[in-house]
Amino acid sequence: MEEFHPHNDEMIFNADEAHNIVKECIESVLGKADYNHNKVNQWTAAIVEQSLTHLVKLGKTYKYIVTCAVMQRSGAGLHTASSCFWDTTTDGTCTVRWENRTMNCIVNVFAVAIIL
Amino acid sequence: MGELGADDGAGNTYSLRPSLQRRFKSSTVKECIHAILKEKLANVQYVPEEMPQLTKSLSEIIKDRLKEEGFDRYKMVVQVVIGEQRGEGVNMAARCFWDADTDSYAHDVFMNVGRGSTRDKVLYALLSFCYGV
Repeated sequence: MEEFHPHNDEMIFNADEAHNIVKECIESVLGKADYNHNKVNQWTAAIVEQSLTHLVKLGKTYKYIVTCAVMQRSGAGLHTASSCFWDTTTDGTCTVRWENRTMNCIVNVFAVAIIL
Repeated sequence: MGELGADDGAGNTYSLRPSLQRRFKSSTVKECIHAILKEKLANVQYVPEEMPQLTKSLSEIIKDRLKEEGFDRYKMVVQVVIGEQRGEGVNMAARCFWDADTDSYAHDVFMNVGRGSTRDKVLYALLSFCYGV
């Protein structure tokens, strides 16, 4: 059987590109804001939705999963880890950490190729 | 040779969708995660040095456990988040761009509270599934 090779850049997930997209989205939403319990729900939703829209606009044959966690800064720790069972030649992930004076934000993007 | 059955494991099939029995089921998966979290975190305290190891091993354990479930041609993404409870606010959101027909996710939250300790921890495990290849 012939081995499958991704033959064009449509089948390669560009983590740097995704990183920049997500970073811009976080900055546009959180900008200079301070942690606010009433707004944080709205913020996380806005970050994932905007990031996803921009990723989809890249027009690659990928399915995307975007998660975002925002935590108030109080000296408490936060750890995240992920395990994936997928095709490492085509699928990829990207993590963006962002912080300001009052909060920490972690966004994870998982891209899973759609084989046509 | 050449007979295509529903449980035709390897080789070519022409099915584009997973069969009903082998489709991702949120409720079963949620039970799985819940059992694992309960078992692994019941008496654990938040110790910063041990957390990187713990989060990684938890995600691996959940992933391996779900591989045994035998979901047909699914790819999996398992994410585990552990935070320390110090009264701070945490909020998490997720959106997915996928085939809503076949792909799904399950999540479970584990919190150990009321144990009279100042260092408890919250755990959030999110799982997402993608159907592919």
